[in-house]
Amino acid sequence: MTWLTSHPLTFLVFAPTLLGLLILVLPHALGRLSRMLGFMGALAVFALSLSWLLGRHEGAVLLTERAPWFTLVGLPVDYALTVDGLNLWLVILTTFLVPLTMLGTWNSIKDRIGTFAALFLLLETGMLGALMAQDLFFFYLFWEAMLIPMYFMIGVWGGDERRYAANKFFLYTLGGSLLWLVALLYLANKAGGFNPVLMGQAASLMPFSVQCWLFIAFAVAFAIKVPLFPLHTWLPDAHVQAPTAGSVILAGVLLKLGGYGFIRFAIPMFPAAAMHYAKPIAILSVIAIVYGALVAMVQRDIKKLVAYSSVSHMGFVMLGLASFTVIGTQGAMLQMLNHGISTGALFLLVGMLYDRAHTRMIADFGGVAVKMPVFTTFFLIVTLSSIGLPLTNGFVGEFWILNGTFLSGFSWGRLYACLATSGVLLGAVYMLWMFKRVFWGPENKDEDSGTHHLHSDLNAREIAVMLPLVVLILWMGVHPRTFVAVSEAPVAALLQDAKAPEPRTFVLKPAVHEAAPAHEGAHATEGHAAEPAAPEVHR
Amino acid sequence: MNLSPSQWAALLPLIIPALGACLIPLMALDKDQVTEKWIRAVMYGTALLAVGASFWYLTDLWLSGSQPSFYQLRMDRLAQFTGIFVLVAAAMTILQSWDHFHQEGWVKGETLALLLFSVVGMMLFAATSHFVVLFLGLELFSIPLYALVGTVRARTESAEGGMKYFLTGAVASSCFLMGGVLIYGLSGTLDLTAAAFTLKAQGLALDPLVLAGAALMLVGFLFKVSAVPFHQWTPDAYEASPHPIAGFMSVATKGVAIIALLRIFPGSLAPLGAVGVKMQSVVAVLAVATLVVGNLTALVQTNVKRMLAYSSISHAGYLLLGFVAGTPAAYAGMLYYLVIYLSMNMGAFGLLTAFGLVGEQTTFDDLRGLGWKRPAMGVAAAIIMLSLAGIPPMGGFYGKYMIFRELVSTGHVGMAILGVLASLVSAYYYLRFLVALFLQAPSAEAERLASDRPAIHAPLAGATVLVAAAIVLAGGFLQTFLADGFARRALAEGLGLIR
Repeated sequence: MTWLTSHPLTFLVFAPTLLGLLILVLPHALGRLSRMLGFMGALAVFALSLSWLLGRHEGAVLLTERAPWFTLVGLPVDYALTVDGLNLWLVILTTFLVPLTMLGTWNSIKDRIGTFAALFLLLETGMLGALMAQDLFFFYLFWEAMLIPMYFMIGVWGGDERRYAANKFFLYTLGGSLLWLVALLYLANKAGGFNPVLMGQAASLMPFSVQCWLFIAFAVAFAIKVPLFPLHTWLPDAHVQAPTAGSVILAGVLLKLGGYGFIRFAIPMFPAAAMHYAKPIAILSVIAIVYGALVAMVQRDIKKLVAYSSVSHMGFVMLGLASFTVIGTQGAMLQMLNHGISTGALFLLVGMLYDRAHTRMIADFGGVAVKMPVFTTFFLIVTLSSIGLPLTNGFVGEFWILNGTFLSGFSWGRLYACLATSGVLLGAVYMLWMFKRVFWGPENKDEDSGTHHLHSDLNAREIAVMLPLVVLILWMGVHPRTFVAVSEAPVAALLQDAKAPEPRTFVLKPAVHEAAPAHEGAHATEGHAAEPAAPEVHR
Repeated sequence: MNLSPSQWAALLPLIIPALGACLIPLMALDKDQVTEKWIRAVMYGTALLAVGASFWYLTDLWLSGSQPSFYQLRMDRLAQFTGIFVLVAAAMTILQSWDHFHQEGWVKGETLALLLFSVVGMMLFAATSHFVVLFLGLELFSIPLYALVGTVRARTESAEGGMKYFLTGAVASSCFLMGGVLIYGLSGTLDLTAAAFTLKAQGLALDPLVLAGAALMLVGFLFKVSAVPFHQWTPDAYEASPHPIAGFMSVATKGVAIIALLRIFPGSLAPLGAVGVKMQSVVAVLAVATLVVGNLTALVQTNVKRMLAYSSISHAGYLLLGFVAGTPAAYAGMLYYLVIYLSMNMGAFGLLTAFGLVGEQTTFDDLRGLGWKRPAMGVAAAIIMLSLAGIPPMGGFYGKYMIFRELVSTGHVGMAILGVLASLVSAYYYLRFLVALFLQAPSAEAERLASDRPAIHAPLAGATVLVAAAIVLAGGFLQTFLADGFARRALAEGLGLIR
């Protein structure tokens, strides 16, 4: 017990791997037992993460473990895990989504269920390790190691084009991170180690052009993961081909790691270069928002539609980061959680539909509401959250981001905020249009249609999966402060070095502390006409 | 002649395998070569015993820290490192070849004898800076290998590959000899260390003849390393030779050539600084070519053995990048890389034996679905292939990491970028191996054939693969022990490069 109390993070990160390896050596015949074992283990990790990480005194750092690991070619590498305000909720999101996804896709995987559960647990280690690692080399190890289980999850249990999608996912991500490795080595060589603080100091002493190159190397690696336009092309393939569980985790956690990488490493280490590239990043984000939404609109496959909506939603995250305002960055933090919850829920729901109908084509459905009322209710709530209806989580995040962008002192701030707002509108269009075609209308009587194959509504297990998600959607919409309070101080510290010109946060600071989004609207509109309220106008 | 204990100590690691090599043919004397199973077992046992005894003796030497020598044969730390390296590869080869030759139905004693002679040659090659001894070692390990490539005489391709390897190898050897002759002619001494001092004293450091001599010697090394443009023999020879022999050649030949290269160029010829710099820039160009050609050609191979051959060419490129960086830490990185490379490649070729792929049946299609049928082999294959691709947390990543880190710190950022791009390309063809193993179902035809054939039984090869995978994995977590405790010490105390 003493070891556990002094190494809670180590336990959280590596317990899933130990369990995963155990499951891997269990014989094939025990697949069902393995699945149960994996689920119980993941649930235990979630429970432990809640009890250990929540309710602590909200200092700058909640928990940390640091020890020298090894020194190779003169560069020390630390075993450094930390949970603080920036990653606390992402860590909990991860531990939460893993058991939930296992439960939600309980019967989706038909063969080699034990191996799948084992890979899932290995993936959890990779994600948690990457989220907690405070040494860039250590982070890199997890960042890369994460690819391996995901590769097999897509490649073995995926759809028809799974091999292509798995390879593309693997090589795309590897390509970005290998170039980033060279930048890391270059910087580590100057800094004498992989400590992000030391590396940041070393970077600040370099010529600005070198800083810019290094920032680009960091940014490209993270932007591929986000994914930021035009580096997003692996995402639709991977999402569509991956099994439901893979899609949920991909959308729910893996994409977050890209945004998290910016907040944790790229921006604090190269504040000047990050500011220098704020505009290009914002341009790409706006393109991602609008383009992702437009492409989503014309999709015929529901899963692909959700995948492109991810591009659009993650564009908001990047826009929030590029605004370099407290509210924008806080909005990005929240939007990452939102996207994890809403898009994760959407993928789970699409998976449930697919398990019944064996098709995901919008045209194959129609009138699902009649056949599956409970399912439709859940789908509607999640859809509305994805659109960003007030009272749901989506609204708060997108509103803060647009607000931050609009009020940032950048000359482009207002224009881009307005352009991005159209993404919210388009989001409503593609989601509701899809919803109308799939759920409303007369029942699709065609023998071969998907609707025809829907015989049962959600069972207790599936409802048990969706309920916590819906509760979270509403909770985050009504009281987002629960989820952003802890990141206020670190975000403010982050923006000490990189802040938008003429910060007008004096208007916004109280807004962040406000509980309900409605108040922020009021605050914001005090100074700046009615534009920030634009998202509401559209609805 | 009375030998002092120290001289015996230097000689014994070579004498033991040589003795074994002499004994084995006696056991394989029967005319029809249809040896009884127990005789075969004794032959393999003898070979293993010889390798094991030499290994035991060398590790003892290593642990005691003594560096005995016998005239020009210097069993210093670097030579001990090489010896251990070669002997481990040889032991794995012997174990794998038991299974492979039984699958091929071609178990001959002479194979083992040749292998052991080759091992002796390799240990000699890396343990001296005297030109004649060096050349002796080179020929002693090359000639048995020429024969080994063509050892399965029942296959015509086998003889073809052996012939190709022999002819090109002979040219490379004569280049090496010519290079040595030029340096000897100018300096009047065969000891390369002494020659370097003499040439420097005479102010001949940049004499065109000295440069030509050094360059010709470099050609000899690069041929053995299979760097572009001296790589053409590699795929043919590997494809022709039995899997374990191909694995042995890819690992041990490359390894000793790299180590001898380190001993001669940054080591003995250090006084001729300018020559070293010139050779380094030549190697830089060739390393880039090797990476590009090796990786791009590997992409389009359909035969696993040819893919592994081109992959071994590209690994030569990464190793040579360490030579380009030219710092002691980079050399240590190369040695570390070699240790991991030994287990990766012996594992990869061992997998072919463990999966029972014989003769020409070594295409990717023959591997389909085997990962699920043999889960332990499948996991080992995943570890080995990901390590070859340089994905952390496998050991292969750290080898590249150390070399790239030194490249970046010496200002060769462009080379490092090229290196990582090359390993990105390589990830694709290593993944193809895993795609075949896990993501593709076997064709109906293959299933039918497999059900007709008896179950594949390759316990020894399987065991070596597992051991190799374990070493690869250990390389990812015990990197300090391997790099500092083993590779760095070999350089520091053997070559005196790190002080």
